[in-house]
This record gives sequence, structure tokens and C-alpha cells, in this order.
Amino acid sequence: MTPVPARRRTELGLIFLAVILTGGLYALAGFGKAGSLPANIGPFLGTLFALLIVAHIALRRLAPLADPILLPVAGLLNGIGYVFIARLSAHEARLQAIWTAVGITVFVATLLIVRRARDLERYRYMFAAGGIGMLLLPLVPGIGENINGARLWIHVGTLNFQPGEIAKLALAIFFASVLAERSDLLSQGTKRLGRFLVLDPRYLAPIVTAWGLSLVIFLAENDLGSSFLFFALFIGMLWVATGRALYLGVGAALFGGGSVLALKAIGHAQTRVQAWLDPWVHAETTGYQIIQGWFAIANGGLFGLGPGQSGAASIPEASTDMIFAVMAEELGLLGASAILIGFLLMVGSGLRIAVRCERPFEKLLAAGLSLILGVQTFVIVAGVTRLIPLTGITLPFVSYGGSSLLANYILLALLLRLSHGAEIEAVTLAVPQEQLSTRGTGL
Amino acid sequence: MNRQIRGLGLGISILFIALFVQLNYLQVVHKTKLATNPLNRATVINSYTLPRGNIISADGVTLATSIPTKDQFKYLREYPTGSLFEEVTGYYSYIYGSDGAEAYYNGVLTGRSSPFKLPTSLSGLKNLLTNTNNTESITLTLLDKLQKAAQAGLAGRDGSVVALDPKTGAVLAMYSNPTFDPNGLVGHNPTAVQAAYKAITATPGGPLASPAYRQIFFPGSSFKIVTASAVYDHDPTLASTAQPVLSVLSLPDTTTQLHNFAGESCGGQILALFTVSCDTGFAQIGLDLGAKNLYDEAASFGFDQVPPIDLPFPAKSNFPTASSFAANLPTLAYSAIGQENVEASPLEMALVGASIANSGKIMKPHILGSITDSQNQVVSTYKPAVWLQATSASTASKVTTLMESVVSAPNGTGAAARIPGIQVAAKTGTAQTGTHHTDDWFVAFAPANDPQIVVSVVLPNQGDLVSDQGGTLAAPIAKSLIEDYLATGTTQGSSSGPGSASSTTTQAAG
Repeated sequence: MTPVPARRRTELGLIFLAVILTGGLYALAGFGKAGSLPANIGPFLGTLFALLIVAHIALRRLAPLADPILLPVAGLLNGIGYVFIARLSAHEARLQAIWTAVGITVFVATLLIVRRARDLERYRYMFAAGGIGMLLLPLVPGIGENINGARLWIHVGTLNFQPGEIAKLALAIFFASVLAERSDLLSQGTKRLGRFLVLDPRYLAPIVTAWGLSLVIFLAENDLGSSFLFFALFIGMLWVATGRALYLGVGAALFGGGSVLALKAIGHAQTRVQAWLDPWVHAETTGYQIIQGWFAIANGGLFGLGPGQSGAASIPEASTDMIFAVMAEELGLLGASAILIGFLLMVGSGLRIAVRCERPFEKLLAAGLSLILGVQTFVIVAGVTRLIPLTGITLPFVSYGGSSLLANYILLALLLRLSHGAEIEAVTLAVPQEQLSTRGTGL
Repeated sequence: MNRQIRGLGLGISILFIALFVQLNYLQVVHKTKLATNPLNRATVINSYTLPRGNIISADGVTLATSIPTKDQFKYLREYPTGSLFEEVTGYYSYIYGSDGAEAYYNGVLTGRSSPFKLPTSLSGLKNLLTNTNNTESITLTLLDKLQKAAQAGLAGRDGSVVALDPKTGAVLAMYSNPTFDPNGLVGHNPTAVQAAYKAITATPGGPLASPAYRQIFFPGSSFKIVTASAVYDHDPTLASTAQPVLSVLSLPDTTTQLHNFAGESCGGQILALFTVSCDTGFAQIGLDLGAKNLYDEAASFGFDQVPPIDLPFPAKSNFPTASSFAANLPTLAYSAIGQENVEASPLEMALVGASIANSGKIMKPHILGSITDSQNQVVSTYKPAVWLQATSASTASKVTTLMESVVSAPNGTGAAARIPGIQVAAKTGTAQTGTHHTDDWFVAFAPANDPQIVVSVVLPNQGDLVSDQGGTLAAPIAKSLIEDYLATGTTQGSSSGPGSASSTTTQAAG
């Protein structure tokens, strides 16, 4: 297995780079904000490096053939995110550091537990039930909590948790297994209706269910962002499984119709959309956040103000929903683009894994997980820049938030597990060694 | 399935391309528009979070400083002298922007205009990275004690006082009523700041207007300094021409008649006319000089030009163009005595006085003394420069003689400004601004043989009684500033000789 050390060596080198980049940024942010090096820069960099090395060693042992880019990029985004959170709130930064450690632990645990991705297929209904259950958990009186108009949180004791973050992974696994099994049935009409062959309504049931579920989330929890994410995930995976563009059209129509209906009913969503359509009219109220975000982004210009140099405090939710605006202000167009390219790199690597997987379930799961990463990034960044209405969703690996970080490290572990599996298949299928290194460009 | 996965990649790429386009739009194309949006306080708040240099008076009193705070702004601007220096320091408000020296010297105070130096030491490199320690402080030419004298002299009445060093153009005092406490505008509580602003703008007279250098008033007879200079510069024979003793002058091309103040009769040569401020005499001189000569003289004294003072938006003082008199000769007579369309700022009249005091040269007026860096090292000192050559040294000396007479002659209108042992040169002004209202002026410098200070005082909207004149209301204020200033360095008491102040004032004219 000659390629093993090569891939992991690449990863180790990239981890070094990620830690150096994060360290430089942290030092500059400290100088910019307080005029001195951050007091904990040594321990911070040491911890970040140690955590990434733990993940790296776990990969060496558990998934040596996995993609070498995903972990360092995730670590870099996580590190940059920490720097900006630390710059906004020392308290949140401490929690984020703890959650990062928990995230890496869960990452390793996921790799340990899920030895073969296809094993997950067996538990599909458990994942379905668990996913839906977690989605609905915030609605349970007593533990559910309304934050900023959306009911997305549960709290147990002092611990706040957004179960929707984990639910999206469970549902991606469920969707992938259902679609892998029924892709043929879903892609061709089997019932005759007059002159046309149409789809058996029985097989349409899942799409309707998903639509209904997203509407329920939307209506009951006031969360447009997650609702869109779930729906995009399902429709996207359905399309990947069947290749029928009809699903994309029907999906878009259903989501559009559902949104309009829901808008009429929900005040919270209405104000979000109003603030999106014309923030200037509501500049001091509902449009305040988006306009302050705009000002901050514009203020950054091409090169940014420099880490730690911006006002930042004028933007509500600066460390979670609006963290990208702070980054765009301090790092400028160049830095903000670099961060987006980081995400694009992760999505691209994920989709390449999907292409390289052999089994439909694994293909669909890899595609679905990549889709989550890409769509979630788009939804929040497009919201902050006002391409679409702003919704309370996190920027993966970057935003402050324990549940988000945890879920994304699980997502990462699953993608790497899939990647390793695909490479093992490729090796066992006796593909000549020299081709192994050139087949890597799936996109 | 791979086809769809690639399609998915393409789709997500398109979404991200939309993000890149939008970021370019916001950060590059639309940047300036957003940055200048009035709702955008980020820029101001950002500059607020930077340290800012102090403003210090020439006698060492701190006028503006920044106190570190724990809130988002990091610093609170503070004006320890309250309203006393407000007209000069201005304010630095994150809601209402900035004014005065805070606005004019913003670049210096924030250190942004200081030349970039490559760091030569580790601490220099640290300063470069942290951007914390390159602010500069400014020391003004104004004196705390003269400012207090101006405030005390006005005693709550509306009006402006400007004092200059005629030899350098340095502003020694600049104070106006109504005034306000700038601390109210710079707080970090928006509600309180807005309330303070409302209260300030509700005050009659608009204290935000900085009348000392931004408002113009009819200068009345104080303008006769310029008319007298015009005589020596353009038609010296008029100086020795005796004007008939009149109480009323019939003007050409009209039935309108020009009356002396309070119906007095006066006449004679220029010294006699100037001493009692004879309107009929000077009106005739104006007519004899002609529009062009009078306009040229006014322009050379700085009328129709913006004084190059280092404060934002100083006012241009007006004198009508020569051609505007062609169709209306009577207005020339009125303009010669500072009425009709002649309007001057208190600063401009101080500059008029300064030109006579400084052998005809008007130095650039300035409030900046020196700039010091954060280590208290003087970075640069203001270098005085000539603004205008208003008149010749010989004319200036002749006009000085006239102005001395205003104070020292028994029938002079400025007798209230007499100071024992110091020869004061001055000119009064009492401009009719409507029925029963006058703007009362006093322009003075001293000592006449070696002028150290020139003072211009205006009290607008006073009554028109004999007691409400430049010589009675404004002169004592100028006198107190002169006394206080000349007492510097010498042990001469300023409390001496109150008896000479109010002896003969009844002969005054407009």
C-alpha cells in the first residue's frame, strides 16, 4: 500500500500550514484589537495542532486512504473561526475551543464506530426516526427554547443544543439508503394514465413527506434556513439518484408555493423577507442587522481593515449568523473569497469522493453530505450579503456553536470514511497503481 | 449517477459564483456608496475606537482629550473647559459628525496625516501593527485667560469676540454667545446626545453657527478704517479736504437723505471726521472716492474673500462690486460707512484692525500653534505667513493716528477703551440694522506704537439709544482683553484706572 503514507504525509503538511496560518491570523488580530499578542496564543496553537494531529493519527489508523485535503481545510476554517470568535467574545471563544475538542473526539469516534459506510444502510429507519425526532425535539415543551424568533434549540440544564444540526446528517443517511434502493422505480413511470406512464404515487410518497416535513419545520419552528436546507438536500439527492430534472422543477415549485403559504401565516418569516426585499425602509428595525452587515462588508473593501481592526460590535449576532460579515470587513474581498474557496474545496473533494464511490448508497451519501456543506454555506453567506433572505444558520466550522461544530465533524468523518472505502474498492478492483493517482479528478 | 454528481458540483459552483459576484459588488463597486450612506455609523464608530490626540490652549489648559472607556467606542471625548472653547475646538460626535478644530485637524489628531515612517525598533513595529500610538496633539494659539475675559465681558449677552496677534495672525481669543457645552454631543448614549443636540439647536441664535468666523454683520462705522485707508491710498487730497458741518447729507439722484447718528452735526478734515465717526463726512468721502477705489480697497482688506483660517467653512465678508454702484450712487455713500450691502464677520474686522496694526500686512489667521506627537515631541510649529498686503506702511501709520484719536481725543467715540499708560487705537461701529436695532462694534489694537493684540467685538441686535453703541457696549470688552493680554509677563495691574473709562461718550455717531 504505497499510496497510504503519501496521502497522509500531504495531510500532515497541510495541517502544519493550517496551524501556521491560523497562528499568524490570531497574532495579527491580537495586535489589531488589544495591541499585544493574545495571551493564550501558545496554548491555543498547541491545542489546535494537537487536536488536528489526533485526527490525523486516527485517519492513519482507521482510514489511511481517505482524502488528504478535507481535514486540513476543516481545521483551518475552524481555526480562523476561533480567531474571529475570540476577537468578538472571550467567553464564546472558550466554549468554542471546548466544542472543537469534543468535535475532534466525536470525529475519531465516528471513524471508530463506522468501519464501513454501507453498514449505516442497515439502520436506515433508526436514522429516519432519530432525525425526525431530533427535528421535532425543540417543540417539546420544557426543553424547547425560542431564540430570536426561531424555535431551534433545546436546553438541558445549562447546555443548549440545536438538534437540527445532527438531524440533517441522520436524514441524509436515510435519504441515501431509500433512494439507492428505489432509484429505478423513481426514475421511470410505472403506472399508465391515459397515454402517459406516470410515477406510482406510492413512490412519490417520500418527496411529499420531505416537503411536508420541511413545511412543518418552517411553520412550527420558524426556520426558513433549515427548511430550505432539508428540502434542497432531499430534492438534490433525488435528482442525483434518478437523473430526472422533473424532480428539480416540482421541488422548486412545491418549495416556492409552500414558502408563500407559510409567509402569509408567520410573522417572523414575514419580517425576514421584508428586511430582505427592502432593508432601507426598515433600517433601524428589522433591516438593521442586514444593513450593518452590508456596511461592514463594504467597509472591508478589497484588502480589509486587518484582523482585529473593525468595529464589529455594531452587527447583531456577529459571532454566529453574521460572522462572515466580520470576516469580510477585516479580511476584505480577498480574504472572504479565500474562505469561500476553502468551502468550495471541501465541497469539491466531497463530490469527487461521491464520483469515486462504487455503490449507489455511498455515492448518494457522499453527494448528500457535500450538498449539505455547500448549500448551508451558500444559504448563510448569501443571506449575509442579501442575495436571499437572511436566516439563522451557521457557517460550517466557522460560526460559534457547539452543535454545529459537532455535526460538521461527524459529517467530515463520514466523508473521509466514504473516501477510504472508495479507494479500498479501487485497490481491490486491481486498478494499476499509476492510474490511481490520476483518477482523482472527479469534477 | 456520476453525471448528476458533476451537475451538482456545477450547480454549487454557480451558487458560489453568485456569492463572489455579490461580494465584488458590495466590497468594490458599491463600496463608496455604502461607506457614505448617512445610516452608516460604522466608519465613524471605527474612527471613534481609535485614540485621538489632545487639544491644548497656548497657556497649557487641556481643551479636548480622550478618556479610555470600556464600551464599544473605547474612548470618550471630553472637553474639560465646557462651553468656553467650543467655538474653536468644535466637537467630535459620532451622530452629528465633527466641527471646529476637531474637524479641521482630524487627520492630525488621529495621526492619519502624519508621514509614514518605516519602523526602526520593535516598539515601532508594534505601533505599526497596532495602530495605537501615532496620534498627535495640537496646541492652539488661544489663551485660556483671554477666552475667560471675553466670556466675562459679554456677560451672557449675544455677541462675538475675536483677538489676534497682528504680527503673526495667531488667534488669541475667539468666543461667541450663545454657546453650548460640546460634552453633550460626544457622549455614547445616542438618546442623550440627540436630546442635547435638540436643546442646542432650540437655543435662539443658533450656537452651532460659530458666529465669530461664520456669520456676517453690518460693520457700520468700524468700516471707516477701510474708507480712511482708501483716502490715503487712492486720493490723499481728500484727507485734507474739510467736509461741511452737516447733520443731514443730501444724496445724489434721489430725495433720500443720510442722517448722522442721533441727529448730531459734524464736519471738518478726516481726523475730526474719524474721531467722532461723522457719517455725513465719510459718506461724502465715499462718493468722492468713487466706487472702484472703495471696492479695490475693501478687496485688498479681505472683503469678498474667504479668510484662510484653519477652521472649517469660514464666512466670506461682502462688499458690493464696483459696477453695482453705477446705477445706484446713494448706496455708495452708505457702503462707505459700512451699511447697505457691506457685511463682515467678527474675524474679518479683526483682520482689518490687524492690517493697520501690522504696517498694512494681514497675516494668515490661524489657531494652530504647534503639533506634538504622542511622546510630547514637537513635530511642527505653525509658520506665520502674509495673507494680504492691505495697504502701505505709511497709510497704516496715518490710519493708526486716526484710531488713536478715537480713544484719546476728548470727543472720541472710543474713550471707554482708554488704558492708563497704554495707547489704544480703535474704531467704533454702531450699524443700524432696522428700526431701533443696532449691531455694536469695537475694533481696537494696542499698544499703538508696537501693537501686540488686536480685538474685534460685536454685539448684534442691541437697541438704538445713545447708550447702546459700539463705544459704550463693545469697547469695555475689548479693553479688558487688551489689559489682560498686555499684563502677561509684566506686573502691570489690570485693575487700575477705572475712572477714565466712562468720561466722554456722548458725541458718538453711527
